[in-house]
Amino acid sequence: MSAVIEIEGLVKKFGSTRALDGLDLIVEPGQIHGFIGPNGSGKSTTIRILLGLIKASGGTARLFGEDPWGRAVELHRRLAYVPGDVNLWPNLTGGETIDMLGSLRGGLDPKRRKELVDRFELDLTKKAQAYSKGNRQKVALIAALATDAELFIFDEPTSGLDPLKEAVFQECVKEITGKGHTILLSSHILGQLEHLADTFTIIRNGRTAETGTLEHLREIAVSAGRDPDSLSLEDLFLAIYSD
Amino acid sequence: MSGFAGTREAFLFALKRDRLILPVCLVGLIGWMAMYVVSYAGLYGTQAELNALYESVAGNPAMVAMSGPTGGLRSLGGAIAWDSMPALTIISGVFAMFSVIRHSRAEEEDGRTDLLLASGSGRLAPLTAALLITALALTLAAVGYFAVLAIGGYAIGPSILFSLAVLSFGLVIAGTTAVFAQVTGKARAARGLVGVVIGVSWLLRAVGDTGGGTLTWFSPLGWAQQMKPFWENLWWPLLLPTAATAFTVSLAFWLLARRDIGSGLIQPRPGPPNASNSILHPLGFSFRLQRSTMLGWTAMLFVYGFAIGVVGENIEDILKSSSAFTEAFASASSDLLDSYFASILTVIAILGAGFTISSVLRPHSEESRDRAALLLAAPLGKVRWVAGHVLIAYVASAFMIALTGLALGVGLGVATGDFSQTGTLFAAGFAQVPAMWLTGSLALFLFGVSSRLSSVAWGLLAAFILIWTLASFGNLPGWLIDLSPFSHVPAVPAVSLDMAPLLVMTALALAFTVAGLALWRRRDLV
Ligand SMILES: Nc1ncnc2c1ncn2[C@@H]1O[C@H](COP(=O)(O)OP(=O)(O)OP(=O)(O)O)[C@@H](O)[C@H]1O
Ligand SMILES: [Mg+2]
Repeated sequence: MSAVIEIEGLVKKFGSTRALDGLDLIVEPGQIHGFIGPNGSGKSTTIRILLGLIKASGGTARLFGEDPWGRAVELHRRLAYVPGDVNLWPNLTGGETIDMLGSLRGGLDPKRRKELVDRFELDLTKKAQAYSKGNRQKVALIAALATDAELFIFDEPTSGLDPLKEAVFQECVKEITGKGHTILLSSHILGQLEHLADTFTIIRNGRTAETGTLEHLREIAVSAGRDPDSLSLEDLFLAIYSD
Repeated sequence: MSGFAGTREAFLFALKRDRLILPVCLVGLIGWMAMYVVSYAGLYGTQAELNALYESVAGNPAMVAMSGPTGGLRSLGGAIAWDSMPALTIISGVFAMFSVIRHSRAEEEDGRTDLLLASGSGRLAPLTAALLITALALTLAAVGYFAVLAIGGYAIGPSILFSLAVLSFGLVIAGTTAVFAQVTGKARAARGLVGVVIGVSWLLRAVGDTGGGTLTWFSPLGWAQQMKPFWENLWWPLLLPTAATAFTVSLAFWLLARRDIGSGLIQPRPGPPNASNSILHPLGFSFRLQRSTMLGWTAMLFVYGFAIGVVGENIEDILKSSSAFTEAFASASSDLLDSYFASILTVIAILGAGFTISSVLRPHSEESRDRAALLLAAPLGKVRWVAGHVLIAYVASAFMIALTGLALGVGLGVATGDFSQTGTLFAAGFAQVPAMWLTGSLALFLFGVSSRLSSVAWGLLAAFILIWTLASFGNLPGWLIDLSPFSHVPAVPAVSLDMAPLLVMTALALAFTVAGLALWRRRDLV
């Protein structure tokens, strides 16, 4: 089976800035792929290209083997997305928003919706303008997790969530992949990623710095002369950026 | 007082934010005034010409309803004041509304005020700065009007009075806006409410001026015009807007001191935990987003149309009673009423095009508020989404202007007991539709080119209003007049319907719509 996400030499220019400068990224089916990099390194830009929201300036990006810009609608039937900064319609309640977003994908399973609402403890009757940041995030998370997408694209999905809900999110992600779905997860919470993800891509200045499993990243660090035992993902990340 | 701490910084920051837009607005406003002064000097250079103008306009209730009492028209200064003040006051008011909201409620809605207050600013500082910068801009504009008049050789006292009259209305609206910015938590809603206040002021003045005159005194627009610069030169009405400004500003601060930052006085009530079927469809959802704006505009235009219709009966009455004015037009009195209605409909259509633009640009506001990605990452086509909003905009615009025509007819019928005109006026409303569509399609085209260009559509609308106003002087070059779609609307019911310009405008609207959608399809989401 071919890769779900296949990116090669991806370039994105905004005026004179090169947000992406030859990025490579491969995500295989059934994987949870951690997508890491400092602020402004191009993670969200990559994801927006994958979603067909912006157009690549160079290189190739393939989603399920197809062009994400030209075939956006068809591809979107197969994926769900949660941005890091969820802005909602101030006059709609959380419940209305979840249903509306779900309807775009042909409707949600009410049982699954209820289960997620209970686990995330979201008050569905509040208007979005009255939600806190974490609760807005939950609305988008529930709307996405209640779908049966093949691919989930998460861009810092838990920013603003409290530790308990963060744990709920991790459980949900594990359940999803247990069913064979694929996940691209961009996050700055490296402890979370270390436990969840199978493979990682670390980017810097719009380019892939390292990619592979945790073991592979460790080997690289060890061969660069680091202590092999205590290397967490965080250490590896810091090691790569202190060079 | 610690509540005002940081006002200076907030004011300087606001000034920096507005360093481009403010000079542009000032040049626009003062330039407009200069245009009046120059045009009038050219058109009515001799007293005989002025007298002719006076004879043709004085006491004509249609003119009174549109522009206020005509007693000052015997002098050049009075004529300029009479003709320029309505538009100048309303535009100043709209400017004041946008400016106050932009620097207070909109900032708060976007969460930036928290940041400011947390870094040591007093809670009254942002509103104070918003009011100060607005007052500063209005005052500079007023100084500009005065300078233009003084340079034109008009008497100093009345020139000052005229400038103060226009300024006073802007300040009343600034204060009113400050109050609504406390009451509601949303910038859009606050602007809507202030829009209603301006509309009602206009209506009260129009009805008051053509009737007994009592209602005029309930209208801030009426106060400005009752100062009658270059004519009776009354200074005491200045007390009314001064008091109103002081009252509204105090009330706004009083409310601000008692509410939470980030929300209005009216707290959002809980709603249903499940969506109704009506929004479980992209078009239904878009409709829901536009619904309250649409209802507001429809109600306003309907009331406005109805009131003008009722006043229309007066006009006919007075036309029938004898005066120099009627003698000249006695045979054509009903035609006169018809052309009055035709021009009223076009004026309403130009205003209504404001709705068309804001409705067509709804996807732009979704995009800039970062909500579009949530929809477009779902299997909803880009073009389909925007086309849905555009469809709503076009249908609603047609509905609104036709309804206004109907309201005119019903108003006239209620007043005269004769409903024979109702159908004609209803149909006349439709003649305005292509021009509104064309304006909306230009907005869509700009949105398609780039997100940042979208707001240029408002500049276009301002230009169309300007062309419509100045075209009545008769000394604008024809090609310039032709640039506005509203110059091509046949003046039905006064003339027989000529379909050609309507078909051409519809075709152009279609072309710009298709081009706008194609450009949007190809551009990045912001
Ligand atoms: N619309 C845009 N116009 C101009 N520059 C942009 C735009 N979007 C992103 N950029 C630039 O592209 C670069 C990459 O931004 P991006 O949002 O992809 O970073 P990120 O890795 O997601 O960062 P963060 O961890 O802070 O979310 C940044 O330098 C950013 O300033
Ligand atoms: Mg990002």
